[in-house]
Amino acid sequence: MPSIQTNGLTKTFGDDVVAVDSLDLTIEEGEIFGFLGPNGAGKSTTINMLLDFIRPTDGSAQVFGMDAQTECAAIRERIGVLPEGYGFDDYLTGREYMEWAVETKDADDDPEELLDLVGIREDAGRVASGYSKGMQQRLAFGMALADDPDLLVLDEPSTGLDPNGIQHMRSVIRDRASEGTTVFFSSHILSEVEAVCDRVGVMNEGELVAIDTIEGLRESATGQATIELECAEPPRADGVADIPGVSTVDVADRTLTAQCSDPSAKVDVVKRVDSEAEVVDILADNTSLEELFNQFTGGGRDGDGTVGEGLDLEESQEVSA
Amino acid sequence: MSTVTVAKKDFKAARRSKLLWAAAIVLGLIAAFVGYVSGGASGADVEQVRALFRVLTMLLAVLLPIVALVASYLAIAGEREGGGIKFLLSLPNTRRSVFVGKLLSRNGIVAGGVAFMYVAAISVALTRHGAFPAGMIFGTLLITLVYGSTFVSIALAMSSAAASRSRAIAGAFGTYFVLVILYVFPAVSFGNIARWVHTTLLGASPNPDLYNAVQYTSPYLAYRKATNLALPTEMRHIVFYSSLPDDISYGSSAANEVLPLYLQDGFSLVVLAFWLVVPLALGYALFERGDLE
Repeated sequence: MPSIQTNGLTKTFGDDVVAVDSLDLTIEEGEIFGFLGPNGAGKSTTINMLLDFIRPTDGSAQVFGMDAQTECAAIRERIGVLPEGYGFDDYLTGREYMEWAVETKDADDDPEELLDLVGIREDAGRVASGYSKGMQQRLAFGMALADDPDLLVLDEPSTGLDPNGIQHMRSVIRDRASEGTTVFFSSHILSEVEAVCDRVGVMNEGELVAIDTIEGLRESATGQATIELECAEPPRADGVADIPGVSTVDVADRTLTAQCSDPSAKVDVVKRVDSEAEVVDILADNTSLEELFNQFTGGGRDGDGTVGEGLDLEESQEVSA
Repeated sequence: MSTVTVAKKDFKAARRSKLLWAAAIVLGLIAAFVGYVSGGASGADVEQVRALFRVLTMLLAVLLPIVALVASYLAIAGEREGGGIKFLLSLPNTRRSVFVGKLLSRNGIVAGGVAFMYVAAISVALTRHGAFPAGMIFGTLLITLVYGSTFVSIALAMSSAAASRSRAIAGAFGTYFVLVILYVFPAVSFGNIARWVHTTLLGASPNPDLYNAVQYTSPYLAYRKATNLALPTEMRHIVFYSSLPDDISYGSSAANEVLPLYLQDGFSLVVLAFWLVVPLALGYALFERGDLE
């Protein structure tokens, strides 16, 4: 049984804002799934529907095969959540918040151990509303871990954390996952997703534009590999363009730039150019995930909105299917 | 029981509020002051204590709605705006347990305030007069707690309907104005508005029972009439003068019995029950259905 499954899940606000548009998503038990997308892509809306904070306009969502709306109580028994937009606004200490989470979940955990795990044991006697953002994030993460949930839902978990905190959180997430916990992890930061996730779904404007492993996503974007060769004398472009896998060649002064649809063609480009003009420097650039992300999301809020240029989205989805 | 856990946490946080303690102490001082100034009347000690509690209930009639509204108007709206709701509903709580838990704890807080006042007033009664008319004291206490609960229900409903702090404040102010102020000042009271519509606009002959029935929709008047159930006959509040025949003496038991059933003291319990249940049902329905972001 999948941990999370959505069928045509849709949420509209008002008449014209479609926050999530018929989302079909399946997350298998035990995987670490990264839910990626720019701000406003519909990630949090999706999570809020899974948690029954908001109600779908259409479609449905199941967690462990239970309906997210009608069986939310049973679902909440089995999940740990690090929500987005939370607030510690009661006059309670960090320790009291943790004790409350443990008590509400009816868990056997020792609150002290959890506080220690997320690194705020020494500050646990202070009122949580006075914590820094990073410390609050640690406390909220610790509360999510109580009762060793079968599914961890983490909405932008690294917000406010220092690099050590991010590292530590990742290792805790990996530990929990290796014990069989499914992790559903939303983020707009690629490196974070790359570091921990088995599989990634990319959301843009309410739709899932890609879903694959990190490697799969890279492969689907290899057409963008670029190689730049600096030569001792101006190189000749003749014949380079005929090498299989090379799409465009451009020469400017002593530099030759070739775009490769097949990354393995880069070696052939180097051999070919070097046979006629001595190559003094090589600059190879595989498509970075950042670039990939931009391609999938049309640059997010800051781009011109052209989605998936040079990418075969269908193909990338087939790989995952 | 997650309802109890929600209530416990809410109550625990409230107990830390200095503002709440200050309010409770002020309430206690007010009650003690009432006890002190009302002690000058003539009559037996028991009569004096009865008079004290009568005055206390009159004071509570206008004061307790403020206490209950202030204590409860942020119960849900504050959690929504502040993000506390995210934790509440991420943990194994249902919306119902959150709503009921809040209801319990806020009622507890208001009951605590009432208890402060009663303890202060009882202390004054015992030390100055040495009298303790238990029936009246506990009778009015019970009715007062119900009265407080009606405003907690109303405030909780407002709090569920309001998605933000500012709207919840507006709701609380509006509630007090509509349900208390508009019934306290005769010129703009609902009864007088009904009279004007009935006689001037519709040109009908005056029907005081109708206007009084309109007046009786207020939890404020219902409370005053309900306290009559615990007061000795001669001390009762006569609220609906215009419905009384001229030959009935205000202090007699006939002053209640001569009224139509829907204007009698006992009917106040129906009015209070309405204000206790209907807002809760509406508030719960809103909270259960709403998108919480």
